[in-house]
Amino acid sequence: MPSTILSANESATGALSDPRAGKYLTFQLAQEEFGIRVLKVREIMGLQEITAVPQTPGHVKGVINLRGKVVPVIDLRLKFGLDAAEYTQRTCIIVTQVQGESSSVMMGIVVDGVSEVLNLSGAEIEDTPDFGESAGSQYLLGMAKVKGKVKILLDIDRVLSTQELHNLSAALQ
Amino acid sequence: MSDIHDLNRQIDDLALRLVVGGSEAFAASVSTLVQIRDRGGAESHAHISAAAAVLLDILQAPESDRKTAAVQDAFARLQQAVELDSQERKGGEASPECQSLAQDPELLSDFVVESREHLVAIEAQVLTLERDPGNSEALHSIFRGFHTIKGLAGFLELGEVQILSHEVEAILDRARNSQLTVSALVIDVILESADCLKRWLTHLEAALQGQPSVAPGRDGALLAKVRAISSGSSSGPLAVLAEVVEAGGAKPDGPAGESTSAAAEGSAVDNPASGRRNDSLAIKVDTAKLDSLVDMAGEMVIAESLVRHDPEFQSSRSPRLQRNLAQLTRITAELQKTAMSMRLVPIGPLFRRMARLVRDLSRQFSKQVRLETEGDDIELDRTIVEALSDPLMHMVRNALDHGIESPQERQAAGKSSSARLLLRAQHQAGHVVIEISDDGRGLDRGKIARKAIEKGLIATAEGMSDHDVFSLIFEPGFSTAATVTNVSGRGVGMDVVRRHVEKLRGRIEIRSAANLGSTFLLKLPLTLAIIDGLVVGVGSERYILPLFAVREMFRPGEDAVWTVQGRSEMVLVRDTLLPMVRLYRTFGVKPKSEDPRQSVLIVAESESRRYCLLVDDLIGKQEVVIKSLGETFKNISGIAGGAILGDGRVGLILELDRLFKDRGIDTER
Repeated sequence: MPSTILSANESATGALSDPRAGKYLTFQLAQEEFGIRVLKVREIMGLQEITAVPQTPGHVKGVINLRGKVVPVIDLRLKFGLDAAEYTQRTCIIVTQVQGESSSVMMGIVVDGVSEVLNLSGAEIEDTPDFGESAGSQYLLGMAKVKGKVKILLDIDRVLSTQELHNLSAALQ
Repeated sequence: MSDIHDLNRQIDDLALRLVVGGSEAFAASVSTLVQIRDRGGAESHAHISAAAAVLLDILQAPESDRKTAAVQDAFARLQQAVELDSQERKGGEASPECQSLAQDPELLSDFVVESREHLVAIEAQVLTLERDPGNSEALHSIFRGFHTIKGLAGFLELGEVQILSHEVEAILDRARNSQLTVSALVIDVILESADCLKRWLTHLEAALQGQPSVAPGRDGALLAKVRAISSGSSSGPLAVLAEVVEAGGAKPDGPAGESTSAAAEGSAVDNPASGRRNDSLAIKVDTAKLDSLVDMAGEMVIAESLVRHDPEFQSSRSPRLQRNLAQLTRITAELQKTAMSMRLVPIGPLFRRMARLVRDLSRQFSKQVRLETEGDDIELDRTIVEALSDPLMHMVRNALDHGIESPQERQAAGKSSSARLLLRAQHQAGHVVIEISDDGRGLDRGKIARKAIEKGLIATAEGMSDHDVFSLIFEPGFSTAATVTNVSGRGVGMDVVRRHVEKLRGRIEIRSAANLGSTFLLKLPLTLAIIDGLVVGVGSERYILPLFAVREMFRPGEDAVWTVQGRSEMVLVRDTLLPMVRLYRTFGVKPKSEDPRQSVLIVAESESRRYCLLVDDLIGKQEVVIKSLGETFKNISGIAGGAILGDGRVGLILELDRLFKDRGIDTER
């Protein structure tokens, strides 16, 4: 019973406004600006020593200790096929809470720098243009235009889906 | 639907009459049966009326031809037919029990957990009662247990559970009021009912987890027995009932069994007071919360050590600061110890479960066994205690089946006819040692050796120590039992036990002397959450090896490393050639040096195979808390998990057997 009520509510709000509207944390990666939902972000931390895990694809940097929990870390530049960059003072790890196969898991992403938190309305968000099949558009929620700049909104659950990790590691072997 | 219920009630009545027996009851049951048959026909329940007709035929045959087993069988068919019909009626819909499941799974799972606890307590108390029928405290506690289950079951509309526990409660009530003496039969029926309730709980649990499970259904014969005891006067029906039970061959209940059962209970339940103390002060906590607390305590120790080793702090000369930090250190250490110990549970309940097993088996084998337990309050990790249940059960069975002789044999050997089986837990150097020892005939060295030669395990036993010969029983496929019983002797015995124990990072040992008995020693770690780790360095990485698998470590000399066929490398260690695995190669890490003479070799043993692991250097020994790397990394070969090292970094724990197996894949490429 409760679940049906919930879904009714959701569709009601969805009808009124774009479900993608809300607060986004934006960060830079190479020349581009990306955004992920603030609700998915657990914490932002400076770079710390990452323990490499063998036999994993290159974009998986390894694991860190987040107050007693072992959290995997992924370099988003490498994940998206951008050139690797030296880590600097601005480089951060954004710890996100994403939906895993069975439960939600914490995962860190290495980004070039964190910018700000934006409150985006439905009007500011546009659907992703059709890039064809190859551009990995399944990761994208949409595009936001703020002050003449384009921010790419990521569906972080999809970006970091563990299924994806496994496929890659299988391909690697 | 009401007619089905009616029919059910009639059949229950019938069961009672059949059991109680007597000509009057017999006549009544025949007429009831005729009714059932006719109603079944009229309401187009063809199979019910057919089953009733079969039973009727048997009952109407001359009394001399009538066999109790046949009657019971036909009766069971009739019950099945009715059951089937009532299920069909509901058109494949969920049974009433399942509907209420849907209503509140949380309440139900609480019910399952709570009832399980009650049943464990009931079992222990029943065994006490059996030894000492006058023990009113035990009786009260059993009564309370069933009463609570009944109440909860009624609340959750679990009809069958409620009916059974109600009937048992009625027996106990009569016993409390001294209207009924607690005989072996009563004990049996109570235990059987407890077992039946356990089956229900298992079913409920499965249903809650969404697994397919068939409801146990009504155990009509059991219910009839229970009712006969609770309703009958203390002499007449009981005697009849006993006859029925014996004729049905349900329980071989010789005089030997009687005396055994009285002795089967040992010191395990001797001190109910201590058990109760634990109950009243215990609360249930979600394990996730516990884990998080353990994590935090570990982090606090690390944070504290970071402060302590901070150069600024070290240069400070303030005695007050030093004193306060020393206090903090003490508190954090204590906190970590407490957090770690929270996952530990006493081993006593496991021993008590064995008491029940010993009781049942000693009857089955007609042997007299006195079970003694020691160290019930020794604490072990909950997961270890749970995983220990199977191997321990197996070894107790083995002891009763093979180790302990029949009373006659024992007397002939000049021993008391009642054997002694001891379960003892004790601390030993950071481990817990569990001892299972009997004073039976002991292991037969000659027989084991012959068998091992026959199975091709060894060529000759000459020159082998007793210990080595005895260890052969842990080899797969080894079983010395001359006849295969339903308890032991299927050849899946001790090797499985050893595998289980090794999975818990434990070891097993045997001591035995002919005619004096045998002792099995299980050496287990206190907890699975912590291991003693050996921290090694390869290049800039650090890895943790479980210390229990490390046999020795050394720096190889000039001619230690040999290459076989240009591919795999071997190391000569004490005149034995062991394969070598270069860790940096497997993990693709850049080492400090590729020359083995500049590195360290670690002889590791996994699954009784030895090999050498080449690492750069040894960093030290550390107790680490094992943490899962999560589902992202669950299939990384050679890595068992992670652990937080002293400086707060994550170190990876190596999985030594996978590491060795995957080396094979590497060389094939």
